[in-house]
Formats: sequence, C-alpha cells, structure tokens
Amino acid sequence: MRCQEKILDTLLYVVYYTQGVAFCVLRIRRENVEKIVVQGRLYDFYGELLTEHQRTVYEDAVYNDMSLSEIAAIQGISRQGVHDLIKRCDKILNDYEAKLHLVEKFDTARRKVEQIQSLTTDHRIKQLTTEILEDF
Amino acid sequence: MAVKIRLRRMGQKKAPYYRIVVADSRSPRDGKCIEEIGTYDPNTEPSTFKVNEELAKKWIANGAQPTEVVAKIFKQAGIN
Repeated sequence: MRCQEKILDTLLYVVYYTQGVAFCVLRIRRENVEKIVVQGRLYDFYGELLTEHQRTVYEDAVYNDMSLSEIAAIQGISRQGVHDLIKRCDKILNDYEAKLHLVEKFDTARRKVEQIQSLTTDHRIKQLTTEILEDF
Repeated sequence: MAVKIRLRRMGQKKAPYYRIVVADSRSPRDGKCIEEIGTYDPNTEPSTFKVNEELAKKWIANGAQPTEVVAKIFKQAGIN
C-alpha cells in the first residue's frame, strides 16, 4: 500500500514537473515572436494618443516590421533616434494600459464571448456577441 | 537591390493577422510585395504559422534577408 502511494506520488510529481517545463518552453517561445504582436495590439487601442510623427515611425516598426536603419533612412533621423522614439512610445502605450486596462478588458470580453458562442447555436446571439467585440 | 522577408500586418483592428511577404527593402511602405510566402495568426491558442517551405528556402538561397521576427518564425517552422 505504502509502496503504491509512493509510486503515485512520484508519478504525480513527474507529471507536474513535465507540465512545468512544457509551460516554460511555451512561454519562452511565445515571448520570442510575440513582442511585435503585443506592441501592435497596444497601438490598436492607444495609437491615436501618440503624435503624428510617433505614429508614422511606430507603425513602420510594428505593422510593417521594418528595421531601425530602414526607418531612420526614410525619416532622415539617426538610428539611435528611431530606437529612442520606439522605446518612448512603448513606455507611453504601456502606461496607458496600466491605467486604463483596455486591452485586458477586451481580452476578458473576448474569452467570454467565445464561451457564450460555444454554448449556443442561435444565430442572433452569435451576431450580437460579435457586435459587442466590434464595438470595443 | 536588397530583398527582405518581413511580416506585414493585415486583419482588423484588435484582431491582428500577419502575412509573411518577400519585398524590396526600398519600397516597404507602398504595400507592394514580390511574393507572399506564408501567414502568422497570433489569435489562435497556440499561434499558428503557415510557411511555404519551398518558396522560403528558394528566397533565402537567393539572398533574401529575413527580419528578426521572421527568422524566429522560420526557426520554429524548422527552416534554416
């Protein structure tokens, strides 16, 4: 009996451990690629609060995946200048998110809408819930 | 003429969706691209990549330069 318990414990530990490792690997992978996605989403919500010049540069970097030197050449400013500007915009957008939580609220709403839509086959409900997301 | 492989954001506002495109580095803003070689959809869990491996290898062999982000996607897709 005791032996069985021990085996079970070990097994549970192994499962737990493997999950932990898998989770870490997944997280590292996600962080690698998705910086540009996170930046893009923040820009979707708060982009209009940036100045015209900031928007042009940030859009090139985040929407068009252009390198610092390419943007620098187009804008006629230094590479360092572009880097600083993007850093500053990141900070501005993150500060807005920290205070307003629009992205976070949108994500929560989207998860709930997905749940509602998976529970129903009613066309009207699906349409209405989709509209909730579009109105954000 | 430098040719680059980069992401281009499509899709609606707040529902990002990217195409992996081959484009001339000097005209990146006008939306023109030489060829579309894949897509990247971060909305799904986990994110989904579709890369036309043959085209990607062909362009890299021809000297097209992938951006940092695209290089990471290729790495995950197993293309070098």
